[in-house]
Amino acid sequence: MSPDVLEGFFQATQANTIFAVAAGCLVGLIVGMIPGLTISTGIIIVLPLTFVLEPEISIALLLGLYVSGMTGGSFSAILLNIPGTPSASATALDGNPMAKRGEAGRALGIAITASFVGGLFSFLCLFLISPLLAEVALQFQSPDLFSLMLFGLTIICSFAAKSLVKGLLAAVIGLAIVTIGQDPMMGTQRFTFGQINLTAGIHFLTALIGLFAIPQLVDNFASLGKAASDDGNAAKIKSVLPKLADLKLMRLPISIGSPIGSFLGILPGAGGPIAAFISYDYTRKLSKNPEEFGKGSTQGIAAPEAANNAVTGGALIPMMTLGIPGDPVTAILIAALLIHGLVPGPLLFIENGEFAYGVIFSFFWANIFNIIIALIGLRFLVKVLVIPRTLLMPSIAILCVIGSYALRNNFFDVYVMFGFGMLGLAMRWLDMPVVPLLLAMVLGRQIEEHLRVSLIASKNDITVFFTSPFSLFFLCLAAASVFWSFWAEHKTKQKQKQQI
Amino acid sequence: MNNMRTRNLIAGIVMLFLCAGYAYLTANLPSRDIQNTTQPSFFPWVIVVCMAVLSLALLIQGLLQHFDRDIASRMAIPPKRLLIGLVLAVAYLVTLPSLGFIVANILLFAGLMFLYGEHRPLWIAVGSIVISVTVFFIFREIFQIRLTAGVLESLL
Repeated sequence: MSPDVLEGFFQATQANTIFAVAAGCLVGLIVGMIPGLTISTGIIIVLPLTFVLEPEISIALLLGLYVSGMTGGSFSAILLNIPGTPSASATALDGNPMAKRGEAGRALGIAITASFVGGLFSFLCLFLISPLLAEVALQFQSPDLFSLMLFGLTIICSFAAKSLVKGLLAAVIGLAIVTIGQDPMMGTQRFTFGQINLTAGIHFLTALIGLFAIPQLVDNFASLGKAASDDGNAAKIKSVLPKLADLKLMRLPISIGSPIGSFLGILPGAGGPIAAFISYDYTRKLSKNPEEFGKGSTQGIAAPEAANNAVTGGALIPMMTLGIPGDPVTAILIAALLIHGLVPGPLLFIENGEFAYGVIFSFFWANIFNIIIALIGLRFLVKVLVIPRTLLMPSIAILCVIGSYALRNNFFDVYVMFGFGMLGLAMRWLDMPVVPLLLAMVLGRQIEEHLRVSLIASKNDITVFFTSPFSLFFLCLAAASVFWSFWAEHKTKQKQKQQI
Repeated sequence: MNNMRTRNLIAGIVMLFLCAGYAYLTANLPSRDIQNTTQPSFFPWVIVVCMAVLSLALLIQGLLQHFDRDIASRMAIPPKRLLIGLVLAVAYLVTLPSLGFIVANILLFAGLMFLYGEHRPLWIAVGSIVISVTVFFIFREIFQIRLTAGVLESLL
């Protein structure tokens, strides 16, 4: 066993790291269960904390929030029939009917247990696959890295957008934003208009806060002053530990949901909601009692919950080994690492192996604390559901402002955050996804650097991208994802035409 | 404008204008006299080409769309409320550097509480003052983030 593995384990097992994971889990469960708050918003709220913490503690906190946010989403889905996060949408299909039967505690227990097993499965994938993938990725040259990132962008456009053109356009806007500031090769000022605040470019986190938080604050105008009502389901929670009969029934959905979630987590953009629904669908097809689905089936709750928590570990694999985020949360994790001078990618395992394994083991602890805090604190945690939006939303607004300001102690970043909020609203109006834009902002500078280095090294010979086997492979995958997306869009439009 | 076809057309045209502006700025970027290298404007030109092609594609998609599906608005918010929110946000941003985080946040918080449907003056006053002041001191004293107190700086 590599000494880095042991050192990473000890790093993740230190008291302050464990405390950070537990705190992250607590915040994650609360954030996840509040309808109208996403995990990304939760991360934005705690973001200013990470600036003053050590990198391993920051990441441990964020990982706890990420893992528990997924589980927390199922609480409101079960109790209120309102998914706390999009990934918990499928859980509501059976969770809420079971809660309405007076078995809210049982439904929550199934969800928590399935989330735990799904999360642990994805931890094993992360632990076993990441070092191997990082070793392969070490052989990548600039043309391969350029093509890999291009593939990452195209696949996220394919998954995240209903229209491929809009997804790609969002990514191109993100790339254009990244060109503001110093040119990465020569240091030439570009598009700064003499504004000194733009010299270092636009900070990714400022953009992220604006793009996610402001549209969400505006969306919540629609549900004025309402605290969610759970029809008394929370009061009916008795025992949350699943019974033996339920555990037996959960074997099939967990064994379907865990690998599906882990695999889809690896693909940028696929994410929790898709994994949860695919897993739900497959489990129903393979179940001995498919007629029980939709009426409060144990398997119907366990399948999506195992899948959406398995997504978390899967999404960390490309983030850790290739520096490509699988979803917005891992994009924030990359930004959090960059703030501390750590660059995710294959070199992370070579240069900071202890840290890389520390992150992996923190993820393990996050799953452990997720189940402990969820099972013990459930009856108290669900009280959060009655916090009125009249207090919650203004609190988020001021935390977003402070979060943007704290990045560089600069009011300019607050204005930029607001500008991105307006952009987020405009993109929502156009049904244009923001995730490709964010991914382009994370990868943009590296894409430019690898493109230019490749061309300089090959004396402007563009065939360099087709002669390297790795590069050719990634370009073929990128082309395949674009064609697949066009084909799927075409089919959907034809169906809509027929319906009209 | 409650259908996606119109929105796509508007977006296509706006994006083409933005693309033209970006191309103009790119054309005016300084060049470096170094052999066997790519210029700082190289990548922006790649972006210009991609943006132009995709904007045109969006425009053409909008023009060729035969059926016109009404879309359910994802933001069923009264425009008046949205406008008030926008004005409040702009006023907050303008006054924030001079008023400082405590006073400006209290005013923003109170305004937002009202917009989110809280109309009891005492609740608004207590909620906005308690939460804004608590958040300020947590971040300034515990997390050591240098938040300016503006008009209250001499008191703190």
